[in-house]
Amino acid sequence: MEQEKKNDKLLEVRDLKVSFFTPAGEVKAVNGISYDVNYDEVMGVVGESGSGKSVEAYSIIGLLQNPGKVVGGSITFEGQDMLSKTKNEMIDFRGKEVAMIFQNPMTCLNPVYTIGNQLVEALKAHDKEISKEDAEKHAMKMLEEVGINNVEKRMKQYPHELSGGMRQRVMIAMGLICHPKLLIADEPTTALDVTIQAQILELMKKLQKQNHMGIIFITHNLGVVAEICDKVSVMYAGKMVEQGPVDDIFYNPGHPYTKGLLRSMPRVDAESYERLIPIEGSPVDMLNPPEGCPFAPRCEHAMKICLQKMPPYVELGDNHRAACWLRVQDCLEEAKEEHVLPEQNTEKTEVDNHE
Amino acid sequence: MSGKKRFQKPGSLQPNIDDILEWSKLPEDAFEPASTQEKADFIKDRKSVSYWADAWRRLRRNKVAMVALAIIIALVIFGFVGPSVVPYTYKQQVRGSESLHPWHYTLEDQEKINAYMEEHNQTENLTPDEAVEKAKAEAEAEGKELSRIEESKIRAKASVSQQKESDEHVTEAEAAKALGIKHKAFGYSAQELQKKADGEKVFPHVFGTDDQGRDIMVRVMVGTRISIIVGVCAAIIVLIIGALYGSISGYCGGVVDTVMQRIVEIIYSIPEMLIILLLSATLKPALEQFQNSGNGPLQNLVTILGPNLISMFIAFGLLYWVTMSRIIRGQILQLKQQEYVTAARALGAKGGRIIGKHLLPNCIGQIITTTFLQIPSAIFLESFLSFIGVGVSAPLTSLGSMCSEALSGLSTYPYRLFIPAGILSLMILALNLFGDGLRDALDPKLKK
Amino acid sequence: MAKYTARRVLMAIVTVLVVACVTFFLMNAIPGNPWLSEKTPTQATIDALNAKYGLDQPLIVQLGKYLGNLLHGDFGTSIKMQKNRAVLDIIKEMFPVSAKVGVFALLWAVAVGLPLGCLAAYKRGTWVDSFLRVVCTIGISMPGFVVATLLLHTLCGGIPGFKVFPALFDGTPKSYVLPCLALGFYPMCYLSRQTRTAMLDSINQEYIKTARAKGLKNGKIIFKHALRNALIPVITYLGPQIAFTLCGGMVVEQVFSIPGLGRYFIQAIQNRDYPLIMGTTIFLASFIVIMNLIVDLCYKLVDPRINLSKGGN
Repeated sequence: MEQEKKNDKLLEVRDLKVSFFTPAGEVKAVNGISYDVNYDEVMGVVGESGSGKSVEAYSIIGLLQNPGKVVGGSITFEGQDMLSKTKNEMIDFRGKEVAMIFQNPMTCLNPVYTIGNQLVEALKAHDKEISKEDAEKHAMKMLEEVGINNVEKRMKQYPHELSGGMRQRVMIAMGLICHPKLLIADEPTTALDVTIQAQILELMKKLQKQNHMGIIFITHNLGVVAEICDKVSVMYAGKMVEQGPVDDIFYNPGHPYTKGLLRSMPRVDAESYERLIPIEGSPVDMLNPPEGCPFAPRCEHAMKICLQKMPPYVELGDNHRAACWLRVQDCLEEAKEEHVLPEQNTEKTEVDNHE
Repeated sequence: MSGKKRFQKPGSLQPNIDDILEWSKLPEDAFEPASTQEKADFIKDRKSVSYWADAWRRLRRNKVAMVALAIIIALVIFGFVGPSVVPYTYKQQVRGSESLHPWHYTLEDQEKINAYMEEHNQTENLTPDEAVEKAKAEAEAEGKELSRIEESKIRAKASVSQQKESDEHVTEAEAAKALGIKHKAFGYSAQELQKKADGEKVFPHVFGTDDQGRDIMVRVMVGTRISIIVGVCAAIIVLIIGALYGSISGYCGGVVDTVMQRIVEIIYSIPEMLIILLLSATLKPALEQFQNSGNGPLQNLVTILGPNLISMFIAFGLLYWVTMSRIIRGQILQLKQQEYVTAARALGAKGGRIIGKHLLPNCIGQIITTTFLQIPSAIFLESFLSFIGVGVSAPLTSLGSMCSEALSGLSTYPYRLFIPAGILSLMILALNLFGDGLRDALDPKLKK
Repeated sequence: MAKYTARRVLMAIVTVLVVACVTFFLMNAIPGNPWLSEKTPTQATIDALNAKYGLDQPLIVQLGKYLGNLLHGDFGTSIKMQKNRAVLDIIKEMFPVSAKVGVFALLWAVAVGLPLGCLAAYKRGTWVDSFLRVVCTIGISMPGFVVATLLLHTLCGGIPGFKVFPALFDGTPKSYVLPCLALGFYPMCYLSRQTRTAMLDSINQEYIKTARAKGLKNGKIIFKHALRNALIPVITYLGPQIAFTLCGGMVVEQVFSIPGLGRYFIQAIQNRDYPLIMGTTIFLASFIVIMNLIVDLCYKLVDPRINLSKGGN
């Protein structure tokens, strides 16, 4: 199929629904999310544990295991429907077009094979004719690019002989070695020291610019998001409650959950008397998701409508939207001020389109 | 509310003005703040379940484990209540009822069979009773008396010769087949059938009898009982010693731990089976001396158990607790780091109290599972030893020794071996399956 | 590597020493003296015999002499079963038969058990898996003698007309089949179960996720990544299996009337031929310890993590 790469979006996810069919019942881990990722763009996915952020990433790359299943929606990568691909097609896809790196580099590298072995394997999986020498050369080049020195020696070492930061670099090298167009990073810096974290983030930014990749960066750390992401999606209880450019999210959050997250983040420039305000309560039970807004029980501004109906998306700016009845309320008030709406006690008459 | 700096009018940005119309149709009170009560009702609380209730629920759902449990209970009843139901004791030798099969022919059928056999056999083929009568007559004629042993030998020979394959001889089974007679369940001797015909209540020999007239079913029941008792006692020994050793080693840490673990390593490498064999060989004379030295309760216990079993228990106490101690030590090491231990120490609790009250109860899941799974291992071991001949001593019987005794007559009386072997295997299987189920229920992190 | 090996070797030597000492002290705990069995000798005779065999010296000295003798290969002489024949000679004669049966049994147990376990793990949840699990669970619940006698009965003439294998052992390859089958059945089932568990554990590890994300084919993931890691715990179980096979051999030898060391050992116990018992115990124990040592060293070969660490986990 002929496609013009630059015009197509890299990844389009529409109304994705993923459920786990457990003995206790159907757990609706992802309850209808939509987003886009473009080339040269880093999208952050923020949320608590259990919000479904890893699950939706796995469904993109086709790593969803039993009892999880995609039960609705669509995933389109460069115009191709990912959900209709066969198993073998997905195997070819993984590592070559879409790559994923994981959180804990100690357990994510096979302890009984050398680094070189695992890197060459990644290459050979997608290029069957490549010779061993070429593959090794390529692997060593990749290791250099991720900032590892002494590559000849490292190729022959085992994962337990490297430090945490180096292992994560190896993971990144392994993920990028076939130059994928989309990289999914599932909390890659969570298990690392803060200083190493900064180095890894720098590395990822550099490689992204080099390869024009799109990156989906999953994390629960807003500091990292501010550092590397271009746009952010905030997930709660399987839904995207707010999406937008990173600056908008940070300076103009529209959803109480986002605001809560920002407030509970420790900041270097905070005054000493300012207290960290945590979000009260605990995440909702995904086995029986309630009818209304899942965040309502923990929200200090919750209204009656919040408990009854799921809030719709309200546009707050350029590509910035939030799903919250408070914003709907704002919207209605603005509309009233602009006299867009008919008066309260008159019959409904035709309304001209405003713009 | 959000800052006004970059705030753009939401109304103008909505892609669809109809949305705004929709929203405006909402009732007035929709935007009233929700009360705390309403928020609390919103969340359907999942009932919090205690650890034990949760484990029991998971266990109940495991069908295999439930079936295994039923089998175990049935076997326990079989072993402990059974012998009271059956009027024979395991030692009782019923005269005239030697070597009965678990089936019998009615008296009339027997006469028919004998007549048939005499017709077809050139040589006289006597039933065991007839042979004994004949031998008794012969002995009287010589002025001697037929001893019990000789009597049973004659019986055995006669019944074997009735069943031996031979060109001239027609066996009992072939005669029955030719006449179209089917055998009926349970074993009765001729006298017993006579008694039944006379109206007396005779308890059948469900599994037949052995060479000396002892009812096999009762012996199997007693054997089952012995196996279960041995298994449970061995498991308790292992539990007590292993738990003590492991928790002390894990809790103390440092040099104490290192030394204790070195000892464990050495014990772990010693081949336990050989030590048991060695112990039973060498302790026999010593224990026999002890037995003969007096008549107190301890001596009686030694007599009942027999030197072999005692050696087995000693070996268990010396060697088999190692795995349990390792598991418990591992758990203690993990739990030691928890804060409630530090808190307890700060309050002045002594080591023993901390171990007993805080640490051990938290590994109770592992403890129960490991202890339970020791029982089938011990039964396995005991049957193995009994089979070799270094297990329970006569007259006590065990499933293993019954199998060993039955080995020589395997072709003629296969059921004598396979009934105890079958019950033994079934018992070990059920215990293993239930133990697996326990492990899955009590430690859900272990995926299958 | 050297440190690890040295430590394991030292541990092995200590174990054998402990076994030898325990054996020695147990033997000496037997009341009475070895001369009582025959006729009741006079006290003078007893004293003379004691002096001749050095039994009148303090225990520690006797222990030292005994250990010294062991190192020279002198395991004592048999008193009852084969009078005055060196125990070591008896062992040398009987052991090869037992060893052959044991080795073949273990070989087929490993050759069949490992692949079956992998198969069960690969086809987890299907009827293949359930069937294999049932068979193997039943297999480890049946004591060795049950399996042996079952085979003997069904395949050796118990069922009329169905005599496939010779009942008595005569050294021909055909007569090896049943004993090895019987002896290897338990290890096979045990290994199969352990392999299955280890494979499932391995497949659930995080590095399998990485392998999948790299786009490797399923076969490669299982046989290259999962299997190698699963073998590590399985090798650990091989050690105890060797000990078990040795002892299980005693039962099999009895059932199939094989003239091996195991059967002889049991007879020695029943006959109270103490030097024979002692010598055989120490020999068998040393053999088991050496086998365990070899298995431990192999373990290190498979798991590179042990390379630089100070000693096993």
